[in-house]
Amino acid sequence: MSEQTIDDINQSRLKELLNDFFEATSLTKPDKANKLMNQIDIMADSKLGIECIYSYVPSLTEAGIFDGSPWADPSKLVPNLANGTLKSGHPNSTIELLSELRLMAIVNGDLDNGQIEPDEASNYLQEIIVANLEFVFNEPQEETRLMMSDHELVKVHSLFKFIIDKVDLEQVKEKLSEELTLICAQRPVVTEKQRNIIALVKEKLDLDAYKPEDRKLLRFQKCIYSPTEGSADKPLDEYGHYLKTLTKAELYAEAQEMSSRMLEFGLVSQYQGILLLHLVRNEFHQIVPICLGLNPVGEAKWNENIAFVSDLIKDTVHPYNCQCIYGLAKMLENGVLGREAVRSSLSNLATSRIHLKVEERIDKSTRKKSKDVSSRQYLMGSLFRILGQPLGVGQGNNPTCQSARGISMWSKHSPAKLINMVQTVAVHDDISFRFEGQEIKASETIEGLVHNLDYNLDAVSVTLVPLLDKVYNEMMRRAAGRGDDPHKWVNPALYGQWILIGFASAYDYLSNAIVDFDGFTRIFYGMCHPEYNGQHQLIYPNPIGIFITSSKGEFLGFHAVSLLRVAKDDNKEYRAYFLNPNNEGRQDWGQGIKPSVFGNGEIAGESSLPLHQFAARVYAFHYNNLSQVSKQMEIPDSEIQKVKKLAKESWGQAYTWLETKKQW
Amino acid sequence: MAKCFALLGWSLPVIESMQKMDKPYVVVSFPDFEQYAAENNIPFVSYQFDEWSDTSNSLDLHEKLKPYNVDVAVPLFEETVEWAGALNSIYRDDPRVLNRAFLFRNKAMMKRKALIGGLRVGLFEEVYNKEGVKEFMKRLNAANLQVEGEEDSWVHIKPFASAGTVGHRLLRSMSDIDEKCEEGDFPCLAESHLPGQEFSCEAFVHGGKIRFLNITEYVKLGYSNFIPEGNYLHTKREKIMKEMQKLVDLFGIQYGMIHPEWFLTENDELNFGEVACRIPGGHILELCGKAYDFDALAAFVLCHDPDLTEEELNKILPPIDARPKTFYGNVMIYPHKNRIEKLEIPEELKEEPFFLDHNLVPPLTTQKINDRDGFGNHFGTVNFKGDDPDRMTELLLHYENVDFYV
Repeated sequence: MSEQTIDDINQSRLKELLNDFFEATSLTKPDKANKLMNQIDIMADSKLGIECIYSYVPSLTEAGIFDGSPWADPSKLVPNLANGTLKSGHPNSTIELLSELRLMAIVNGDLDNGQIEPDEASNYLQEIIVANLEFVFNEPQEETRLMMSDHELVKVHSLFKFIIDKVDLEQVKEKLSEELTLICAQRPVVTEKQRNIIALVKEKLDLDAYKPEDRKLLRFQKCIYSPTEGSADKPLDEYGHYLKTLTKAELYAEAQEMSSRMLEFGLVSQYQGILLLHLVRNEFHQIVPICLGLNPVGEAKWNENIAFVSDLIKDTVHPYNCQCIYGLAKMLENGVLGREAVRSSLSNLATSRIHLKVEERIDKSTRKKSKDVSSRQYLMGSLFRILGQPLGVGQGNNPTCQSARGISMWSKHSPAKLINMVQTVAVHDDISFRFEGQEIKASETIEGLVHNLDYNLDAVSVTLVPLLDKVYNEMMRRAAGRGDDPHKWVNPALYGQWILIGFASAYDYLSNAIVDFDGFTRIFYGMCHPEYNGQHQLIYPNPIGIFITSSKGEFLGFHAVSLLRVAKDDNKEYRAYFLNPNNEGRQDWGQGIKPSVFGNGEIAGESSLPLHQFAARVYAFHYNNLSQVSKQMEIPDSEIQKVKKLAKESWGQAYTWLETKKQW
Repeated sequence: MAKCFALLGWSLPVIESMQKMDKPYVVVSFPDFEQYAAENNIPFVSYQFDEWSDTSNSLDLHEKLKPYNVDVAVPLFEETVEWAGALNSIYRDDPRVLNRAFLFRNKAMMKRKALIGGLRVGLFEEVYNKEGVKEFMKRLNAANLQVEGEEDSWVHIKPFASAGTVGHRLLRSMSDIDEKCEEGDFPCLAESHLPGQEFSCEAFVHGGKIRFLNITEYVKLGYSNFIPEGNYLHTKREKIMKEMQKLVDLFGIQYGMIHPEWFLTENDELNFGEVACRIPGGHILELCGKAYDFDALAAFVLCHDPDLTEEELNKILPPIDARPKTFYGNVMIYPHKNRIEKLEIPEELKEEPFFLDHNLVPPLTTQKINDRDGFGNHFGTVNFKGDDPDRMTELLLHYENVDFYV
């Protein structure tokens, strides 16, 4: 038995259970089916497992595994239901997975069940792929992350990896291009997902430049694989030689073309790394800003700091670490480099020695690690991206929205503090915070919320988040049991002094109920709505606790976002613009509440919702308790009731509601 | 050959075996099962086994079974043992068949019978209230020469007529008696704690002779067991066989299967625990059938038939000296937490070569677990299969404490 691999054993288990199931009469079939499905569930979390299950799909179908279930007739399946079923866990997700594999078997001619033609099956599968891109690229949405266990995520992702390998993607093109557009519009710090989709398209699809729907996908491809005419069809080293042959004017044109490619979608090609290094090393100082696509402010910052930035580029940029160029450009434009503290802390980090444990984490987060790029270079590069794109920070598939939100906030409002934190952790793999006069050291606390970090993060996040998470958890522990939401004390301690003192929570700890929601909503509007707060704008991001609800509006859990600003959109409607640290700002929270990321006045990285819809998911926020404006009572009751109705009919159903008035 | 078997109780695997063997049968069970039986073409007579009156008794049931030509009754549940005894008394025209059935249904009577016949049993007594249990424990302490400050002797109490571990309580001290015993427990049997390695036997009896003997090694009572017995217990097989035949003779068992529990002491002596004559719990016959490669459920039913021929017997039962090389074991899984949200199969199990299958069901939503009554309801079973009984024991002990429900 020891000579057998576990896959062989799995296969023989499957075979044996299938045989038991096959031989059972209708009396004990449900019982045998249960065991059989349990085995399939166990095997489905690996590639070999899925392949093995696939090879048994005809026998499973013949043995009647689908009989008497809603999956019995493949021609009656509804593609849009698959996503919900896959999220609902075993055994439903397992039979759904089998159903998808059955369709593939029909497409491939491995199974003919007479109920559905291969063409139909293929169309159906493509629709499923489109509706489940989050699984294809393993970028689950917040709802999905809360609902599914790690095993279920791996299982469903394995299924889609298998399917995507074997299915024609012709009809998914338009959807993929829309997907790419919307992801890129958010300018995330981690660009793995876009790159994966673009690579998939390149590998699987023949694109025709004469077809309009193909042209857009080709534009994405060009960004990465051949950004300029000069780089087309050239291997990287050849491109390096080619640059040496160019005149200054030709280099200028090359730089112009290169940067316009980068600015289109925020994606940087390896060629750009080579070009930028060539320009810096050969001191073409006037062409560098062109290559970075800088606006006049950025160009001015470059001119002020030529020596410093040149050194940064030479130390950090590498063709295999090129995405940081976009971050660097944005850093120059947003002026962080103008601060002495930022420049000093960057210099400190550039010469720091990185702790072995931190190096390990950075290595793990680097999918295609190059031996020519050091962990410090990855870390610096990632820091450029975060400093340049504070709204592009994401939490990955981790329950660490708090930490991600913090990194984003510091990046914008306290960049030197952030860099200093990164440096401290990078060197010591430890960090300490002050909490109510006492020190909290990450290394001396118990575990945080994360048990297995998902490393699909940027290098700064993998450096900081495991420790921030522990510190946050410890603060929450110390602030627990005070009869109010611990965030009231934890937020200012964790994020810093710009968090407002006033704190309102819809949930009342003492009565275990939602108390005076009307009053709560009035304070919220009074805090952020320009018409009721004296036409003021928000100064700092406001850390807000929201209820996450499913696409059916059901209560799922809690999440942390930052409210950035409230403003009128083009339709003169007030919208809340916020940072959702979940990788994907586009979500469906039920009741027609779908945050948008593009087209409603959002700055790249922002999510937005009409203000009343956003308010209907808020459960806690900070406000200035000294300037509570009397205009609060001018907020029309109809607006408050609109918010309350949405709240009560969704997450509110999980709570008791008390109408007694509360002293806020 | 029996004209028709009456299966008293409800077991889909048994019905399936009967269908596969194409043997005539009728199921007698509670009215709740009637609709399912009709939908699945299962011959069925509905009967309220827990009623005993002028219109609900064995003579009445006998009448109801006449149209089916029943001549053999087989008990599937503990609660149907005396019903089957009564019917078989009529079919075999032997009133003692019923009396023997009562032996299985009163644990005090069962022990007395065993004691009379020279089997080793512990000290036992019928008790009627907590005071009775305390008196029993005191006498036991005295007999064990307890010195001031020493622990009390352990006492088990069991209902007279319940299956397996239902209502079984282990009392380790006087205060345990106050805390664990309830009014509803009495009257019942109190007995001294029997030390030793526990195992059960499943003896398929025909014509008063044991025709096949399975030994089930208990790893932990109520949690886990495996078949065939491990290597050490196997060296005692001959001795066990002798005691088993003694038990069969003593109880006058002619046809069917008995399932006694024994304790093997360090001095190599066998203590008799108790005995049942229905389908044992813990999926024992399922494991037994797999280990010895036969239809144990069918054999269980057929052995009740006095007219079964020698040839048929040999066909349905494994050879009496069979010793399988592959061991089959299982562990029943109970949640360890008060609130559970989901089922998680541990990675180590997926990679365990001995792992065979499981039938654990995910909780529907967050579920509160009630306090266990006796051993309570388990959430499913994890099965193992392998060639090393020691490794098997290790695995069963280990997985008993693994959290599948979190």
